[in-house]
Amino acid sequence: MTADFGIKIEGVSHAYPGTQGLNAAGTLALKQTDLLIRHHEFHALLGPSGCGKSTLLYLIGGFIPVQTGSISTQKGPVTAPGPDRSIVFQNFALFPWKTVLENVMYGLQKKGLPEAECRDIAQAHIKLVQLSGFEQAYPSQLSGGMQQRAAIARTLAVDPDILLMDEPFGALDAQTRRVMQEELRMIWKRRPKTVVFVTHDVHEAVFLADRISIMSARPGRIEHQIDTGLGPERDESTLTDRRFVELGEQIWRLVREQAVLASRGGL
Amino acid sequence: MSPLSLIRHRDRLLQALVLVGLVSVWELSSRAGWVHPFLLPPPSDVLARLFADMQSGAVFVDLGLTLYRAVTGFVIAAVLAVPLGILMARRRGVQWFFDPLISIGFPMPKIAFVPIFILWFDIYDTSKVIMITFSCFFPIVTATYSGTSHIDKWPLWSARSLGASESELLREIILPLASPAILTGLQIALPVGMITTIVTEMLMGGSGVGGAMIAAGRFADSVGVFAGIIEIAILGMVVIRALDWLRARLLVWHPENRAH
Repeated sequence: MTADFGIKIEGVSHAYPGTQGLNAAGTLALKQTDLLIRHHEFHALLGPSGCGKSTLLYLIGGFIPVQTGSISTQKGPVTAPGPDRSIVFQNFALFPWKTVLENVMYGLQKKGLPEAECRDIAQAHIKLVQLSGFEQAYPSQLSGGMQQRAAIARTLAVDPDILLMDEPFGALDAQTRRVMQEELRMIWKRRPKTVVFVTHDVHEAVFLADRISIMSARPGRIEHQIDTGLGPERDESTLTDRRFVELGEQIWRLVREQAVLASRGGL
Repeated sequence: MSPLSLIRHRDRLLQALVLVGLVSVWELSSRAGWVHPFLLPPPSDVLARLFADMQSGAVFVDLGLTLYRAVTGFVIAAVLAVPLGILMARRRGVQWFFDPLISIGFPMPKIAFVPIFILWFDIYDTSKVIMITFSCFFPIVTATYSGTSHIDKWPLWSARSLGASESELLREIILPLASPAILTGLQIALPVGMITTIVTEMLMGGSGVGGAMIAAGRFADSVGVFAGIIEIAILGMVVIRALDWLRARLLVWHPENRAH
C-alpha cells in the first residue's frame, strides 16, 4: 500500500507573512491538511477562492517551501521544484521569446537529451495537443486555447510522474474549455499520470476527476473526499449521465457551504 | 498602390517639403542680409564646407573619433550595468549595497564630474570614455533593475519545474524576459552618451566633432560650427536608428513588432 501512493501530504499548515497594519499577523492559508493522492489518479482540488488550493499545489510543486508538516512523493520529500512534478498555470506561462517548438524542447534540453531527440519528442507532443503546423509560431501569435495546448505539450514532454494543473482552463472561453477538458482526459488515459487539478468549477472537477477533494474556507483543510465513480471514459454522454448530474448537485451544495462561510468570515 | 499607402506617401512628401521650405527661408534670409551671415551662415556655405572637409578627410577623422568614444563608453556601460541591474533585482545583498549609490547617482548631473575626471585621468581618450561610461551607466542599470524586478514569477516557476537550475534561470529565462526593459534603458542612455561625448570633447579639446566645433568657434568660423552641428545630427540619427533596428531584430517575438 505504501508503494502505491502518488503524493502524501501530512499535517501541512501554511501562513503567508503579514504586512503592517490590518493584517500584521499574516494569513493562515492552510491548516493541518492531510491528503493522500493515489498513484496515477486524476485528483481534483475544489474549493471557494482563497481556500488555499493553489497554495497546496505550489507546495507540492516545491515553489514555496513547506513550513510545517511534510509532503512526499515516490521520489521522497519535496524540497524544490523539479521535472518529476511539472506544472501548467492558468496564464500558460510560456516563454514568449521562444517558438512553440523551442518552448516544448526546453525541458527536454534540460534533461540533457541530444538535440535531434529533443526535437522528435517535442514534435510528437505538439501533435498530441493538435498544434502541428504551429511549431514556428511565437506564443503572442496564438489564441489562448492554443497557448494552453502548447503549455500542456511543454509540460507533458518532460514526462513528469506528477502533473500539477492550476486552473489551467480558467482563462479560456466556455467552448474551448470543454474541448480542452475532453482532450486532457483523453491524453491522460493514453499516458496515465498522477494529476492534481485545481479548479473552482464543480462540473469541470466532476467531468475530469476520479476523486475530488473539497477544501474548506480559509484556513483550508480537506473537508470532503468524493469518488466520482464515473469510469475511465468521459465524453459528451458523460454530461447527461445521471450520476454526473447528481454528483454535480451534491458537490455544488458542499462547495457552496464553504463559499458562504468564506464570504462571512474574514472578508 | 493602396489608398492608405498613397496617403502615407503624400504625407511624407509634404513633410519633406516643409523641411525644404524652412531651409530655403534660412538660405534666403542669410543671402538677403536679413540676418548677418556670420551669425547664421547660409546652408549652401555650410554644405560646401562639409563637402570640402569630406574631400580632405577631416570630417571622417572627427566623426570616427567621436563615434569610437561614444560607442566604447556606451558598450562598457552596458556590459557593467546590465548584469548589475539583473543581480540587484535577484540578489537581496547586491540590491542592499548598490541601491543607495544608484539612487544618489541617477539624478546627479554627471557632466559636473568633468573637472574631477580631468584631474584624475587627464584630458585624453581615457577620461572622455570614462565620462561617457559614467553618464550612460545609470539609466541602463536603473531600467534593467526595474525591468527585472517586474518579471512575473510564472515563467520562472515553469522553467524551474522543467529542470532549470538557478544560474540557468538567470541567463536563459530572466535575461530574455527583461530584454525589452534593458533595450529601453539602452535607448535612453544612447543619446545621453552622444551628448556627453560632444560636451567632453568641447571641454577637453583635441580631435573629434566637439573639439573641432570649439576650435572653429575660437577662430570665429561660424560656418565650421554649423558644419559640426550637421555632422552631429547625422551621426546621432545613424546610431539611434541602428539601436532601433537592433531592438526590432532582438524582439521579433514581442507583440510590439506585430502591430504593422
